[in-house]
Amino acid sequence: MHASPLPVHLNVQAPVHITGLGIVSALGNDVPDNLNALINERTGIGAISRLNTRHAATLPAAEVKYTNAELADLAELENPYAWTRTSLLGLNAVQEAIAQAGVDPAAARVGFISASTAGGMDSSEGMYGEFFTDPPGPSAKEWVATHDPGEHTERIAAELGITGFVTTISTACSSSANAIMLGARLIRAGKLDVVIAGGSDALSRYTVNGFNSLMILDHSLCRPFDRSRAGLNLGEAAAYVILESDAHLRSRNATSLGRVSGYANTNDAFHATASSPEGEGAYMAMSQALKVAELSPRGIDHINVHGTGTLNNDLSESRALIRLFGDRIPPFTSTKTFTGHTLAAAGAVEAIYALLAMHHGVLFANLRFEHPLVEVPIVPVLQTTHGRRIRHVLSSSFGFGGNNTSLVISAPL
Amino acid sequence: MSKTYIIGASAIGAQPVFDRDAPERVVPYDTHPLNAIVPDLSRYIAPMKARRMTRLVRLGIMSGMNAMERAGVKVPGAIIVGTGDGCKHSTERFLTNMIEHDEQVPDPTAFIGSTHNSLAGQIALATGSNGYNYTYLARGLSFTSALADGLLHVQEGIRNVLVGGADVITADFVTTQKLSGLWKQRNVNNLEVLQSGDAGALAGEGSAFFVLDSEPAGKDPVEVVAAQMVFGEDDMEARVIGMLDMAGLAVGDVDLLVLGCNGDAVEDRAYASTQALFPRAAVAAYKHLTGEYYTANAQGAWFAWSALVNGGPPKECLLRAGSSGPIRTVLFHDRFQRKDNSLILLRK
Repeated sequence: MHASPLPVHLNVQAPVHITGLGIVSALGNDVPDNLNALINERTGIGAISRLNTRHAATLPAAEVKYTNAELADLAELENPYAWTRTSLLGLNAVQEAIAQAGVDPAAARVGFISASTAGGMDSSEGMYGEFFTDPPGPSAKEWVATHDPGEHTERIAAELGITGFVTTISTACSSSANAIMLGARLIRAGKLDVVIAGGSDALSRYTVNGFNSLMILDHSLCRPFDRSRAGLNLGEAAAYVILESDAHLRSRNATSLGRVSGYANTNDAFHATASSPEGEGAYMAMSQALKVAELSPRGIDHINVHGTGTLNNDLSESRALIRLFGDRIPPFTSTKTFTGHTLAAAGAVEAIYALLAMHHGVLFANLRFEHPLVEVPIVPVLQTTHGRRIRHVLSSSFGFGGNNTSLVISAPL
Repeated sequence: MSKTYIIGASAIGAQPVFDRDAPERVVPYDTHPLNAIVPDLSRYIAPMKARRMTRLVRLGIMSGMNAMERAGVKVPGAIIVGTGDGCKHSTERFLTNMIEHDEQVPDPTAFIGSTHNSLAGQIALATGSNGYNYTYLARGLSFTSALADGLLHVQEGIRNVLVGGADVITADFVTTQKLSGLWKQRNVNNLEVLQSGDAGALAGEGSAFFVLDSEPAGKDPVEVVAAQMVFGEDDMEARVIGMLDMAGLAVGDVDLLVLGCNGDAVEDRAYASTQALFPRAAVAAYKHLTGEYYTANAQGAWFAWSALVNGGPPKECLLRAGSSGPIRTVLFHDRFQRKDNSLILLRK
């Protein structure tokens, strides 16, 4: 195993501020609703009621409760025709983040980096047959072009008038953590002033059946880090942060909610879908993110772990935590016990929760934990804990293809 | 600010370009899609492994490993891939199976194969690279995103950054994208498609990878001066001038303009304003040779690189001859589906 070189950033000290947050998840359609559910230990996971799948009765998931028409109304979309659910979720979350930050998305030097794994799949899987009939189905022409993961980004960018750096990342479960990392790097390099970074993934039959085929979905509510864990629950969400350069923030006297102070993306180079059992990739991502943040492990006050609830992930992530933090692992939580695994959105969802934990001095609970693992007996946060001084939070997202990303979210300067 | 050089490049496509500095010859096609000419896989992939790989992964690994071999690099410092929609064969197989069997017959192999970042992950596995590993699925901006990220990495001090773009064609994709108006509804000889005068392009597929580094190694290093994406705008004049300004160059310094004309009469009009900026430069096209696809501009960048290495493009690419003299600076303007503009500036 050779050591990866550490990035030598041009301006490693330049702060990357977070000035806006936007989220739609099973916990609610804005930041206050999400915070409220987290503090009150109210999970968003339950029986599938909206998605039309034959597994609805047996596989719990965390659905956003709104229909597509309701999401279009919430976003005050004038013409919602051929908007996929991924685009609708994304637009709502982006609007909330922009409103909080008070930035103009159509200004020069504003970038939009969005992540998705399923893209328009929730629409195209329902009308796939219509694309191939002769003549094709009546709406096939408009919908066929919404299938790929990049479409939602361009759809939202066109709606908001963004014309500069517009791109889509799809690196499985680390996708939107990678969107935030790229945004932070572009700001540090002086390429952009403002970046809207995050991701969106609607629940689809494709992903439900795909993860089910890998036999890593729990038929009960997921129990990350628990001895009895039996897999993950899927969820759907969209989440975005507004990243801003220090100069731009000062020029408009805006308020920093926090900073992206560290980031790293590494690859296991171990297996297509499994993490290395020793957690090598997770260790590399976490330790390199700390180095970029110029923090020692002791500097981390809280960890929002990847913590999917699969046998493989939680064991390898636990080993990586022990290797990095020894017997002083900071309080850690898998908020996937609330939101399910929201795939490409997960990294941004959890970066927002990390910032909320810091801002409100609260540790959220890792729900349903009872018994520690036999191999690595570590215990997460058991209930909502107020009154904590939290300055630096590590947030990790690990994905298929050995793709591991860790972010460090820090308090405002 | 350090400079960034292409120290190795390799492409696979409908023309015989693999492991070469220029196409061996230009192959005409009377029908489309234009399928990639797949080289002998055994050079880099054991037959047992190759059988388990999807077509996208095969094409991508072959051109990625070849680019690294040509650059003399074993382990890339970062792997950055652009693909419009990844492993379509697996996605279509999983989707069709799920619909036909009403969610009752699991197909884990197709699901894993359909993960969009599987090519970048497989290159990491094949090279043992633990570095940065990104995949962009940004339609016509996928490759340019990877290239721009690669430039940023070299600025950050990472050596030997592998960037590329790859997409494959399937029968289903030919059918579905005909609906969205991407393809021509008829067959046209590819060497005549730029004069066809009607809507749509010829469907294609391919892969092209580049090794980027801060040191001008190898026999023909080409500098990547800039890479920029512009979404949803039509007139590139101000963006082009701004890009040249940033590089300390004037309009007259550009010797060759490479355009992404694809034979769609409406689409191709959008290049007129860019072309008008450079009355003295030679002008070349490439999509009549490669076909159109999300990451055709990765092969376009390869043709631009090839023109710098060889002193000019193949005569079949030339739309307009320039003033005589060596070709030192190339501007590449590519456009995909009326929205995704890429501007790439290369210099020898």
